[in-house]
Amino acid sequence: MTTGERLDDIEAALEGARSEGLRIIEAAADLGSLAEARTRALGRKAPLARARSGLGGITDPTDRKKLGQLANAVGDELEAALTSKRGGFERAELDARWERERVDVTLPGDAPPVGSLHPLTKTAWEIVDIFIGLGYRVAEGPEIELAKYNFEALNFPEHHPSLSPQETFYIEGHGDEVVLRTHTSPVQIRVMESQAPPVYVVIPGRTYRRDVMDATHLSAFFQLEGLAVDEGITMGDLKGSLGTFAREIFGRDLDVRLRPHYFPFTEPSAELDVQCFVCRGSGCRVCKGEGWIEVLGCGMVHPFLLEWVGYDAARYSGFAFGMGVERIAALAHGVTDIRSFYDNDVRFLAQFATGGGGP
Amino acid sequence: MRVSFKWLKELVPVDVAPEKLGEMLSMSGTKLESIHRPGNSIGDVVVAEVLAVKDHPKADNLTLVEVDSGDGTRSVVCGARNLAVGDRVPLAQVGARLGEATIAERRIRGEVSQGMLCSGAELGVSRDHSGILVLPSDLALGSDIVAALGLDDAVLEFEITPNRPDCMGIIGIAREVAALLGAKLRVPDAQVGEADVMAAQVEVEIVDPAGCPRYVARYIEGLAVAGSPAWLAARLMTAGVRPISNVVDATNYVLLETGHPLHAFDAARVTDGHIVVRRADQGEELVTLDGSKRSLDPDDLVIADPARPLGMAGVMGGEDSEVSGDTTAVILEAAYFDPPSIGRTSRRHVLRTEASARFERGADPDMPPYAAARALALMAELGGGRPSGAVVDAYPRPIERPRVTLRAERTSTLLGYEVDAASQARHLESIGVGVERAGARLEAGIPSWRPDLRIEEDLIEEVARLAGFDRLPATLPSGVNGGLEPAQALERHLRRTLSGTGMREAWTSPLSSQRDLDALGLGEDHPARKMVVLANPMLEDESSMRTTLLPGLLRAAAHNLAHHTGGVALFEMSRVYEPTGGLPREPLTLGAVWSGTRTPQTWRGPGTKWDFFSAKGVLEATFGAAGVEHAGWSPVSGMPLHPTRAANVSVGGHTAGTLGELHPDVCERFDVARGTVVAELALPALFASPLTRVKAAGLSRFPAVYIDLAVVVGEAIPAATVTLAIQQAGAPEATSVRLFDLYRGEQVTAGRKSLAYALELRSPEGTLTDDDAARVRDRIVDALSHEFGAELRA
Repeated sequence: MTTGERLDDIEAALEGARSEGLRIIEAAADLGSLAEARTRALGRKAPLARARSGLGGITDPTDRKKLGQLANAVGDELEAALTSKRGGFERAELDARWERERVDVTLPGDAPPVGSLHPLTKTAWEIVDIFIGLGYRVAEGPEIELAKYNFEALNFPEHHPSLSPQETFYIEGHGDEVVLRTHTSPVQIRVMESQAPPVYVVIPGRTYRRDVMDATHLSAFFQLEGLAVDEGITMGDLKGSLGTFAREIFGRDLDVRLRPHYFPFTEPSAELDVQCFVCRGSGCRVCKGEGWIEVLGCGMVHPFLLEWVGYDAARYSGFAFGMGVERIAALAHGVTDIRSFYDNDVRFLAQFATGGGGP
Repeated sequence: MRVSFKWLKELVPVDVAPEKLGEMLSMSGTKLESIHRPGNSIGDVVVAEVLAVKDHPKADNLTLVEVDSGDGTRSVVCGARNLAVGDRVPLAQVGARLGEATIAERRIRGEVSQGMLCSGAELGVSRDHSGILVLPSDLALGSDIVAALGLDDAVLEFEITPNRPDCMGIIGIAREVAALLGAKLRVPDAQVGEADVMAAQVEVEIVDPAGCPRYVARYIEGLAVAGSPAWLAARLMTAGVRPISNVVDATNYVLLETGHPLHAFDAARVTDGHIVVRRADQGEELVTLDGSKRSLDPDDLVIADPARPLGMAGVMGGEDSEVSGDTTAVILEAAYFDPPSIGRTSRRHVLRTEASARFERGADPDMPPYAAARALALMAELGGGRPSGAVVDAYPRPIERPRVTLRAERTSTLLGYEVDAASQARHLESIGVGVERAGARLEAGIPSWRPDLRIEEDLIEEVARLAGFDRLPATLPSGVNGGLEPAQALERHLRRTLSGTGMREAWTSPLSSQRDLDALGLGEDHPARKMVVLANPMLEDESSMRTTLLPGLLRAAAHNLAHHTGGVALFEMSRVYEPTGGLPREPLTLGAVWSGTRTPQTWRGPGTKWDFFSAKGVLEATFGAAGVEHAGWSPVSGMPLHPTRAANVSVGGHTAGTLGELHPDVCERFDVARGTVVAELALPALFASPLTRVKAAGLSRFPAVYIDLAVVVGEAIPAATVTLAIQQAGAPEATSVRLFDLYRGEQVTAGRKSLAYALELRSPEGTLTDDDAARVRDRIVDALSHEFGAELRA
């Protein structure tokens, strides 16, 4: 054979190896047979290897280089075909795997046990937090209280009806000296006795009155009181502070008003009304047609109290306020019977599991 | 306080509508509760006369009443039996309107009824449904009832605060209106005809001038007691007072007008015309006007004659000296009584009357002569009586009218805006305060009808309310550093943690009784049996302050289980009350109840139930949140808990409370499922070390080694003891020790159990080698073997 013939043969063999190799690779049906195809197309006994082995006999460097490049090109092409084929198989396999792993995302999730804070707790916290923001601290005091703190120190006249055993619970064995506190106000006295001004406190706590239970009365209920005593406290401060509170709870764009009232322990005294947040003042069932809802009682601390605790009433003044937490919660949440707060029916409580503070 | 708008306008010119006036009064401290227009809902009801009353032939409880309304007779079927021939009654004619209803001719048990006779309640003039309203006899037949009774009026109902007895009379309201509208008050004249002063008919002796500082008595004779005329009856009814007779109605009219209670005694029943005001004698009795026989207390002030008590002063008269149809002469009382004394008597006898309500708040001590003259004039006019004898005015202790100094600048300082001295004086004068002004200093003479004005601040309030609270600025004071105390923050944190574990927070009543403790099966000497007891409970079951939160929580759990849920988990953080020598202790306590389903079965698998260990997990999580590093659990037995499924819980070495299944008997008594778990813990134990700010610890950079260890120990050895031994022997490398399996059965000897632990070993100094891990493991195994005879499970 001439050199030229040998060269032609080798070139033909390489071309044959290419087409044979591509055929083998193309015929592979899966990743397993593709591995076998690789051996048959690119292995040591494959046509390409056999064709390549003939290169050793070529002495002319130019020819050898040319055929060597062809052999490499064939090898590369077969490798590329293999890679492409493998990629196809892998994609298909992955697709199949994803399909196998598919879930119905509409099935319900695992529910962790859901609890909730009581609406009265949440309401009290909400109120307390508003006043914390205004620079108040939180004080507490005994529910079983000296009558002296519950009445006398708060300027109740000795014959005031609240002192009667028809209205106030007295404790056996203590004569008329110990009562279930009828309001959180005695804590005002305790706080002022224990510290010098300035005083800014809110006082949440249980209180008791001999009221027959109905939709708006309980014999044991929850009050929240506030007291600010400082130099130069004005009734304008009372109006501004309580207006801020009421709007924060019931609606930031609502009107509030102070209406004159009477309490033994404040002078002047007032009640705070907020514009009805249901009808916005036009009159409805919630506000009983008045357009306003009574929210709390308040007033300027009576000088009698300041003197009783030994404060200089000429130098300090203050305001105080008190509200029923059940009433605030009932208004805020549209609860028509405050006894619901003490039934502890989970269907009722569960409604308060959401956040939902603010107006 | 019900105020007729028409009546009000007789005392003060009003140029605004009732609604507007009501709002003005509300905003000046006399709160309008409602406005009622009784005439609006009534149409075609006329005055008729009863001609005959016959039994209904077919119904025992009905009558057939023949009436004449001036244009012929009609027959009306009627359910009431209080009518007599000649009575004037309201007839709702066919076609008449009563509220929502229209009256039609209809047949009732076979008899035709041509209209309907009305009760006081149906016309809105009283609350009386029991009988037909019998009208004054001077009303013309056929006249429209709305006009006849003055129902074409607006009745304003006000809430009167206890400091304003003056507003419990229409003159007082009119004075407020005059001040608000800048109008002039017109107090009615009290002209009494010339009395025969020669005949001294009444003697008044005040034995207790402290209880009765003033007593005015008048005598009137020649009275003919009869029904009141329509105008008077109508006015009383509008104000909610039932007309009785001209004499009694005259006193009630003056009461409504002036706010000053009067009393009329039948003079014939007062021995020697001699009135004695004194305290009751021990054992004295009196039958009051309401028919009740009352045992008088030596502290009760009575009006008596020399022989016996005639009435409870300022509260209620006696039946015996009551004005009756036969009365011809009356001793009229207008007095001023000491408010606390009246208050005590009223409360002692649980008897609150129109009179006591006014006297106990403080009547006007200057009012008696005027009020007596007003009533006398009315009695003379209505009953044809002649005043006789001199005015007796016993006033042994004249009541001083206080003077109060108001510094004008003090008003501005307290209110927070500038009010000039002249306007302050003007506001005070508008309500009858006499003001002498020296620059910014106002000397105020307090009128006799305002016992509530005693100090400077009282006057500032008057200025503020008359100027209008809407003039107050809205400002904010500086405040201090707002925030919660650490214990308060921890309390909130615990509530949040507990609600995060799936529990619902409950609020139950603090009022309890020994019966609750009986239901818990507590022994007589159980500490919880020592309760704070109420002297005056409203209910037997609420006669003491609770010493445990469990009964309330168990009732709440039972309510929920009975109604709808398969399971319930409730907690409460509230006080319990422990008697001491002085004020009781009120420790904050955590109570909890877990019962039934914890998580329901779902498509993912079976559900879980609350049991001792799921409940214990909640407490452990809570302790963790409270910063409690180590809680001790030891078996305990005793009611109300299951004898072998209950634990004492200790924190920091002190017993904090218990956790356990409820005793089956207690479950039954509270109607909760068996297996219900409860816990009760004193929170001060958890608060002993309030949460301090967390200081973050450095984390080891080196990997951990994880090994499992299964040991077999005797059944009696508590798991916690083994765990603790592992922690101690494994320290410091064993950073986590977790029990993951508990096995009893074929593969371990009877009477023994296998505990399998997963351990995390870690060192801050370097990576632990297998040899290091083996050494730790050997240390642990040796210790367990030594302490418990534990053997490693293959």
